[in-house]
Amino acid sequence: MKLVILSLALLSPLASAAQCTIDSQYMQASYKVSQQHEVDTAVHTQQFTLWRTLSQAAQQDEQLVEVWQQLSNQQLRPIRYFVQDKRGIEYQPSEVKAKQNFSSKQQLVSDELLAKMTLQSERGEGCDKVQKYSLKQADTTIEVSWVVNKKLLESMHITKPTGSQTIILQSVSFDKQTVQQQFAVWDNYQTTDYADIGDNESDPFLAKMINLGFIEHSAPGFYDTNGKTLKGGHHHSHH
Amino acid sequence: MKINKIATAIGFTLAISATVNAGVLPQSQVQSQWYESAQATLAQKQSQAQEEQLTKAKNVILFVGDGMGVSTLTAARILAGQRDGQLGEEGLLSFEEFPYSAQVKTYNVDAQTPDSAGTMTAMASGVKTDVGVIGVNENIERGDCTTVFGNELITTTELAEIKGLATGVVSTARITHATPAATYAKSADRNWEDVSDMPEGAVTAGCEDIASQLVNFEKNVEARFLGTDIDGIDVIMGGGRRHFLPKDAAFNSTDAVSSVEGDRTDERDLTAEWQANYPDGQYVMDKAGFEGISADTKQVLALFNESHMQYEADRENDIAGEPSLSEMTAKAIDILDNNEKGFFLTVESGRIDHAHHAGNAYNALNDTIEFAKAVQAAVDSTNPEETLILVTADHSHVFTIAGYPKRGNPILGKVVAVGSEEPSLASDGMPYTTLGYANGLGYRDLGDETDADAAYSEAPVVGRVDLSAIDTNSAGFHQEVTVPLGSETHAGEDISLHAKGPGAQLAQGVVEQNVIFHLVNQALELIEQ
Repeated sequence: MKLVILSLALLSPLASAAQCTIDSQYMQASYKVSQQHEVDTAVHTQQFTLWRTLSQAAQQDEQLVEVWQQLSNQQLRPIRYFVQDKRGIEYQPSEVKAKQNFSSKQQLVSDELLAKMTLQSERGEGCDKVQKYSLKQADTTIEVSWVVNKKLLESMHITKPTGSQTIILQSVSFDKQTVQQQFAVWDNYQTTDYADIGDNESDPFLAKMINLGFIEHSAPGFYDTNGKTLKGGHHHSHH
Repeated sequence: MKINKIATAIGFTLAISATVNAGVLPQSQVQSQWYESAQATLAQKQSQAQEEQLTKAKNVILFVGDGMGVSTLTAARILAGQRDGQLGEEGLLSFEEFPYSAQVKTYNVDAQTPDSAGTMTAMASGVKTDVGVIGVNENIERGDCTTVFGNELITTTELAEIKGLATGVVSTARITHATPAATYAKSADRNWEDVSDMPEGAVTAGCEDIASQLVNFEKNVEARFLGTDIDGIDVIMGGGRRHFLPKDAAFNSTDAVSSVEGDRTDERDLTAEWQANYPDGQYVMDKAGFEGISADTKQVLALFNESHMQYEADRENDIAGEPSLSEMTAKAIDILDNNEKGFFLTVESGRIDHAHHAGNAYNALNDTIEFAKAVQAAVDSTNPEETLILVTADHSHVFTIAGYPKRGNPILGKVVAVGSEEPSLASDGMPYTTLGYANGLGYRDLGDETDADAAYSEAPVVGRVDLSAIDTNSAGFHQEVTVPLGSETHAGEDISLHAKGPGAQLAQGVVEQNVIFHLVNQALELIEQ
């Protein structure tokens, strides 16, 4: 009997942590981003929402939604939705897999970046266990507060000589139905395959996109394994 | 008078010297490889002129390189040669060896620079029409369903079916995309690829989406020509599965990219409808299914991708695998030539155009080289005395070969002048590439990225870029542009037509694009005069 109790005591936190991860697979998390530049003392703030399912992640601000879908062959496929126009541009998955880390899309910080960071402290238990990490690379310092069993970013602070940026979690919910409904709304927008843009200059929406260029995401969004902010869409670092 | 006498005297002297003084040409001249090969070419042309000129064909294959202008042909042939270890400039793409060719004017009725919808309609029906519309004449108003009725044009594919020939449509684009669609559909807008793409008013007014028209082709032709009995298009291969499936994840194929692959909002599964129409036919959606199609298969519907098929260089990144254009062409002919009356096949390389729009010469040229292989596959598997093969483009692109690179200079490289080993520098002190675009997205260095369309992720690049440390030969390099636009555009200059087989000799001079329909019609005698 004693042995059984001991086993349960050992298993229970593990089972609980695994359940937290499952329960947080469908997530809607709102973040506030504050940026301050060395030459400009004003603090610029903006909001964005991170949505995720098992195979999709979306970052939404007022104008633009960028969705990343993980395919069965592990490639990632981006789609950009333009909320006011209720239109979308569908991209093809890139084969440059190393440049597209799905965990960075779903969590804002990739598993690889976290693995490179140093654990500073830990508080809480089970689903609420929070770990503080830090990393100093060249002149950049990154501090992360990480709800480990929910795979949820609580906060991140990046400091460089040229300025700083802070991302703080404002609210979060794990209602699967709400998340699925939101992805379904975007999915119902009229989409255009990006390969077809060149043949559709007579389409007012696409003409506008052509003239503006395919604007980069305004929110700070995703970070690669070096903590570097990624631009929207495909990102390539060949030079 | 005096001038006339002098001219006559000179002419006489030249005439005398031309006949008696051939031997005065130095040996170095007449033994020159250039001289000898040109003599051989002329002898071949003279011999060809003496041959009996067949005019009627059993089969016709129309190849269309979408966006494959003359500069694309030149650059592709150089690249193909250089990949084979040659200097490159001296070679020919397979179809450039055809005996006859013509220069083709591509403008649409309402557009100086055309699009694929208007140009392919001209080739398929013999009538030029407006930009953006499919299988209808210039009286159409784009996007207005009610103007379709009474303005429909009849195509070579329909006429060939009525005559009892086997027919096929093969494309690397979505099979509902403008060029393949113009062989079988009538639509007030090229984008009405499925019902969800159409305004509600167009649906209620009775217009049928392009995918539905493909599946209902037999029924529609028989309704249009009462008393006819056709067996439908025998071979259909391409991309565009999304337009055939309901918007319901339950219908996703194993090749699905989107979480919900189908786009149709009318709950119709056109692949199932097609299978019901043709119980002996075979529907496939991947490379394995393609390889399982035997030559005695009666009918084939192959939809290899949710959207366009992959660029040739990108095929290995497809989830379920795709055949190449040359493999599809050979397979299509294997099936179509079972019909003793003959066949009419249209083959499109749809993604040369897309790579150019993305400003990526590598993929445009690579797909052109694969297109040339597909033409060779057709040459190899048909009888030249009974098969007319026509190879053309629908329109050109603003793609240039410029500067003064030395002979054999890598066509995707930077300009290195004659006698030099270092790249030439422009007046801004920076090197520049031989290939470039007059407009478009401009410079990108996407390394080994083989998907040209990745370029659309970022805004156009204005102005010059220092290319000193950039490998411009890589698949992911996108050339610089003069005018920054979100997408590179078509060009309005003429394109070429290459012809081989019975009736090929009629392809000559500078012709309107709609003449191509008449070349096909003449050879196959589709319309009794």
